[in-house]
Amino acid sequence: MNRMFWTGAALLAVGCASYPAPTEQVASSMAATRAAEEAGALLVPDASLHLKMANEELAQAKQLMRRGDNRRAEGLATRAREDAELAVAVAHEQNTKGRLEALAQASTAGGEQTEPSPGTGQGMSPESSPPAAPTTP
Amino acid sequence: MRPIKLFPIVSALCALIYGGCAHAVPKELADARTAYREAAAGPAQRENPAQLHTAERALALAEASFRDEGDSVRTRDRAYVALRRSQRAEAEARQVEYERQLALLEQNVSQRQQAEMARLRGQYQATQQALSAEQQARMEAESRAQSTASELARVATVKQEARGMVITLSGQVLFPSGKAELLPSARASLDQVANALLHANPDATIVVEGHTDSRGSEALNLDLSTRRAQVVREYLTAHGVAPERVRAEGFGFSRPVADNKTVEGRANNRRVEIVVQPQDQGRPPAQGLGPHG
Repeated sequence: MNRMFWTGAALLAVGCASYPAPTEQVASSMAATRAAEEAGALLVPDASLHLKMANEELAQAKQLMRRGDNRRAEGLATRAREDAELAVAVAHEQNTKGRLEALAQASTAGGEQTEPSPGTGQGMSPESSPPAAPTTP
Repeated sequence: MRPIKLFPIVSALCALIYGGCAHAVPKELADARTAYREAAAGPAQRENPAQLHTAERALALAEASFRDEGDSVRTRDRAYVALRRSQRAEAEARQVEYERQLALLEQNVSQRQQAEMARLRGQYQATQQALSAEQQARMEAESRAQSTASELARVATVKQEARGMVITLSGQVLFPSGKAELLPSARASLDQVANALLHANPDATIVVEGHTDSRGSEALNLDLSTRRAQVVREYLTAHGVAPERVRAEGFGFSRPVADNKTVEGRANNRRVEIVVQPQDQGRPPAQGLGPHG
């Protein structure tokens, strides 16, 4: 009995030593999700989807880490960081797009009598803007 | 069209045939390949080459894992990273494009606003100038009218009556006794009258009335008063008052203003009255000496 316990403990210790807990990756993913929240990702549908995915992956990573599955935990923490960083980029992109559209609308509504100068009026209608980032997980 | 449609079927068949030895490509890796292809063909190549390169390296790592380990957890994790980096490269590239368009539009809008501001400022200044010029002209006209009126008041009596503005000049100032020739001293007074009439309402008609005292015969006095009125009329028209506006009339002693029994009364009756009648009877007679317009 006693021998079996020590063997098990040794095996566990060897497992832990062979693959370290991804605490750094988890910490950096948590920082990335905070950055996404600060970038307003929660208010932008495409960005909030990726932020949600990041949070789920992070929760899974922590759970796996508690169970000692450090290798898979690291993979999920890395996925979480990538999703959070994408959420930041999409939030910035969509916010800029929104500002651009609002200004384009305001300037055409306010200055209809003046001819728009050439070269600045292209690609600003909502139809011509590229589609939002694909959200396949 | 056809070969493209056939391709997945053919590849599925191949996968079935070689299923034993070849690993099926995990969904993450397939998505990552597509995403990288799209990103490399889009604006990221131009606007965000650094991030696109990161995606490329991540995809190469995933491909290496797939080659070495097949569809392993690590392959899937690496492919996922590659997929997200390609998407991020695209999003950041679009962001750069939007920023550039926004800057151009903002510049355009501010230029338009500045032009509009300049136009409004110009309009405002022109209006202010016109207003102050108008005010200046009005003030000048008013002060001219006032000085004309006060100068006239020094040489004549000016009264407002129902028939119009009446300027009364004493006969003693204008003519020697019994004659219809102007005294040298009369000219200064008549100059003031002419000046006042030039500033008066241009539509008004002017009647120069000659009056005498009751000494002498009626016929003589009538003739004298008529001739005196005509002399005054001629003087006024010679000094700029339009002849068609001025009429001369003699009344002899038929319209005394004072008692002919006293010296002073007779002096008051010997006079020339200049009546300025506004042609439009509805108009208040006070306009006689007002500024033009």
